[in-house]
Amino acid sequence: MRDEVRMSPEIIVSNAVSRSFGSFTAIDKVSLTVREGQFITIVGPSGCGKSTLLQILAGLVAPSDGEVQIDGERLNGPRPDKIGMVFQEPLLLPWKTAAENVEFPLLLRHVAANQRRERSLTLLDLVGLAGSVDKYPHQLSGGMKQRVAIARGLVQNPRIVLMDEPFAALDEQTRSRMWGELLRIWERTHATILFVTHGLLEAIYLADTVLVMGTNPGRIIAHIDVPLPRPRTYDMIGSVEAGQLRNHIWELVASGQ
Amino acid sequence: MSVFGRQMRWVRRTIIALLCIALWELAFRVGLLNPIIFGAPSLVAQAAMSDGLQFLQAFQVTLVEIALAALIACVGGVVCGVLLGAIPIAAITATPILSGIIAIPLVILYPVFVVWFGIGPPSKVVYGAAIAFFPIVLTTMLGVRSVDPSFALMAAAMGAPRWRVLVSVMVPLALPAMIAGLRIGLAFIIISVVQGEMVASYDGLGFWISYHRTIFNTGHVYLGIILTLILAGALNEILSRLERRYSGWHVQTQPSL
Repeated sequence: MRDEVRMSPEIIVSNAVSRSFGSFTAIDKVSLTVREGQFITIVGPSGCGKSTLLQILAGLVAPSDGEVQIDGERLNGPRPDKIGMVFQEPLLLPWKTAAENVEFPLLLRHVAANQRRERSLTLLDLVGLAGSVDKYPHQLSGGMKQRVAIARGLVQNPRIVLMDEPFAALDEQTRSRMWGELLRIWERTHATILFVTHGLLEAIYLADTVLVMGTNPGRIIAHIDVPLPRPRTYDMIGSVEAGQLRNHIWELVASGQ
Repeated sequence: MSVFGRQMRWVRRTIIALLCIALWELAFRVGLLNPIIFGAPSLVAQAAMSDGLQFLQAFQVTLVEIALAALIACVGGVVCGVLLGAIPIAAITATPILSGIIAIPLVILYPVFVVWFGIGPPSKVVYGAAIAFFPIVLTTMLGVRSVDPSFALMAAAMGAPRWRVLVSVMVPLALPAMIAGLRIGLAFIIISVVQGEMVASYDGLGFWISYHRTIFNTGHVYLGIILTLILAGALNEILSRLERRYSGWHVQTQPSL
């Protein structure tokens, strides 16, 4: 663990959180502690409850058992002021411009129009879309749409950002460019990020810690600290260290099925 | 399309219409068409000028009946459809019931409507509204249900309460499907109102057409037909404008051919 986060306060604590749907246990007694400023990625086989776990931490799904604390407060529902969210699909509203989409969470909180615009311009600039403020989603490429979605997730200046396979629908080149962008944004905002992915190299490249989940029932089977130094560079993906780590995680994922 | 292109289209259409009318009149003048069966433009014009523009009265009656029936069916149908679409269990229960009702030829109930609401306009309004209501409810409901539920999750994560998710996200996304439903509903209303007037009434375009047919006033009959077509065309134009205004993004997001 990096020195600056080792001492930082615990921002997300989940205590033996379980969630079942009927007789199916999606998540079984997941306990985890995330410190402020950490970048955590979550990997695991399909159906291991990664998305469900993220939705529980977002307050979108109530746990059947156990509890989640955000900043020491029990989580009882969505907390858009503290938690930003980015999904696999951009989910932009097609009749709104890029800026209006970014402003949507602020509109819900009745923030004044000029303040909204100021915030959305700042965020679109941060994600590298200063030139596409007034474009509609159908005028943007897949990568640009996902950047707008990231800007929307960050617009309330949340201390936690939950990302559910945000780059899964992008092509390889765009995806690797987005990794660099995301790490840059993370360093600028000092947010705590939980990032669900299927890509093991993506998980290693981005994270301080990789959480490996197993299935049937969904549970965390390993915490792996990534020893790669920061700032990360693209060539680290090809390093022997990263390769060995990937093989190790791959074996864990395979054993967790 | 440019303004110039749109004007050109109207010029083309007017020329085609005038040509058709001229051919029709020519065929009558040279004795090719029996005026009792096929009428003629000059006979239609004579019919329009006779009896002190009496046709305007019939036109107005039908127009008001259609407008009232459309208002009741659209407002009622959209509100019911959205509410049903918002509650999964209600939608699942309602779908077979609505499909069943739509399969009933409601014309069998028209005599009952005449007994209940009299031979005047109210029975036509109720009949037209009843026929259009159910398809509008069904298409609106299915439209709301067919929206990707991830959008609702996104809006909830951004802090939108349930009603706001429905009003600001789900309904606008369902708008293209809803307008398709309104199109079907309005077509049904025109058919049923005019047909209702033909079967039992003392005024309106349907009555005008069937009454003058029995006394071989062929010019009057064709005048009534043309007025009904104008009404249908105008309603269609209003809908097309609504569609462009409120769900233009839908057309834009479709792949261009």
